[in-house]
Amino acid sequence: MEDLGVTRSSVHGAILIDRNKKGDRIRAPRTARPLACWNLARLRIPFEELGGGIQLTNMPQRWRSSLVLVGHGSTLNPDSSAPTFQHADEIVRRGIFGEVYCSFWKEEPSLREVLRMVESNDVYIVPNFISEGYFTQIVIPRELELEGPLTHRAGKVIKYCEPVGNDPRMVDLLFHRAREVAPNVPPDKTSLLIVGHGTNLNEKSAEAAQSQARAIRKKGVYAEVSEAYMEEPPFIADWAKNTSQPNVIVVPFFIADGLHSYQDIPVLLGMESAPTVAASQQEVFRRNPYHLGGRALYYASAIGTEPLMADVILDTIDRFDRKHLYDSAA
Amino acid sequence: MIKDELARLIKEGYNALGELEFAESTSGYLLYHWSNRNSLAETRIYRSVEDARQIARYDSRGAYRPLKGAPNLPNGWVIEVATIDELKKALDFFYPGAIGTWLGYHAGTVQPVCLRQTLNRQTGMYRVTRRLTDEQARNLVKDACRSDGRCLRTILWGIEDSQPPDFLPSSKCDPSVDQTGQNRAALPFLCLEACNLLVAAARTRMKESSS
Ligand code: SF4
Repeated sequence: MEDLGVTRSSVHGAILIDRNKKGDRIRAPRTARPLACWNLARLRIPFEELGGGIQLTNMPQRWRSSLVLVGHGSTLNPDSSAPTFQHADEIVRRGIFGEVYCSFWKEEPSLREVLRMVESNDVYIVPNFISEGYFTQIVIPRELELEGPLTHRAGKVIKYCEPVGNDPRMVDLLFHRAREVAPNVPPDKTSLLIVGHGTNLNEKSAEAAQSQARAIRKKGVYAEVSEAYMEEPPFIADWAKNTSQPNVIVVPFFIADGLHSYQDIPVLLGMESAPTVAASQQEVFRRNPYHLGGRALYYASAIGTEPLMADVILDTIDRFDRKHLYDSAA
Repeated sequence: MIKDELARLIKEGYNALGELEFAESTSGYLLYHWSNRNSLAETRIYRSVEDARQIARYDSRGAYRPLKGAPNLPNGWVIEVATIDELKKALDFFYPGAIGTWLGYHAGTVQPVCLRQTLNRQTGMYRVTRRLTDEQARNLVKDACRSDGRCLRTILWGIEDSQPPDFLPSSKCDPSVDQTGQNRAALPFLCLEACNLLVAAARTRMKESSS
């Protein structure tokens, strides 16, 4: 499917409409297809406006399946698990799965107890992690006693999907975030800076940020697309030297907001002089643009807080099925 | 189905779990903190299951509650739900997996895992906990898991495999004992395996003893 860059999504019952440059992509359960067309009429989206860009994608109903979304969680920061709950709630609202749960390494339900809550025999585990690494390769499989992508245990089939950060649609999300935070800047006079953590516990977060930056660069929308890290070069603190355009949009390639996005990165960027606990930590995202050294800097919240992550999670599950079920059946 | 089992248990007379109590009402079920048992009219009414998650997130002073079993749930609220399915979901937001764990244990499909096995499986920053001695472990659990102030779960695991947790007060290891000390008909709230907070506390203990 051609990647059109989603500009706006809306949900109407079980039907999701992605508006993009060429038209709308309607995603609906197979049974809801007639309803989807009816809805289009009701929403008065002119068919000519939908034009050739309309794509009806089946979003299979998975009433007999459960989804377990796995996050890192934190014993100190309640915001850490908030996006995982938010995406789970959105997926519940769309009524696709019979059951939806969240589970965490450092919060409850723990990875050891979550499968005791699940009733259905078909279970998808989706790590809400930005990249492959220590957690997705060692901790989660160990704690859930997984044997690989497919585990058969006590009458259950447990399907272990890739981390959400691997999904090709993350590129759409980064575009979406960038446009949202700086809607009126001309892309040909803008640098997009994707910031990641870098060297840390065998996480491949830098590689993940790099591959996203590469994919965005290829589209040629922004004058410049670069990546920068907290703990390895190119460093975030060198952003002024490493970007060339008058506007700079910074999107943290993290799964949740926390100390890094509220405090560390703003200090590294020079937006704040010292780490302070703001009255409202979200405040840091509301003061855009920051005028620094003659440039306009726009700072977005962590990409994982983007509501469209729910679609990335569903795509991750579809990709799992294509790779491990349909392919092996063929 | 877990919700059907829960409905059966309620019919049998169970009406409490941890700090919670629940009752059938004309329109479904009511769920509240035990301390509001006689003052429900003065509490704030919530009607969405998701409110349970929000209430369980912070204590009465607004501090984050990372350990759901901690006896510091705020009071002053009542959640009204229409169905047993919603009641089960709400209970799972307060005490994740508690009912499923009890039913699984009761049916013999899940067993306790001893502390050694949990610690020996740890990697990365928690690998150091493998060196915790039996005595350090006993002292740690006695302190970090005690029902008066730390955690209301009933511990069913010992330090070594097939060893009972006999270093703890017998009430802390008896599923039929209401850990709030109120002798209610409480659903057992089990701890079948050391949680991540206890493993993290073991790591802190190791760091302290090596410095
Ligand atoms: S190990 Fe069990 S009893 Fe101890 S604090 Fe954790 S959950 Fe509570």
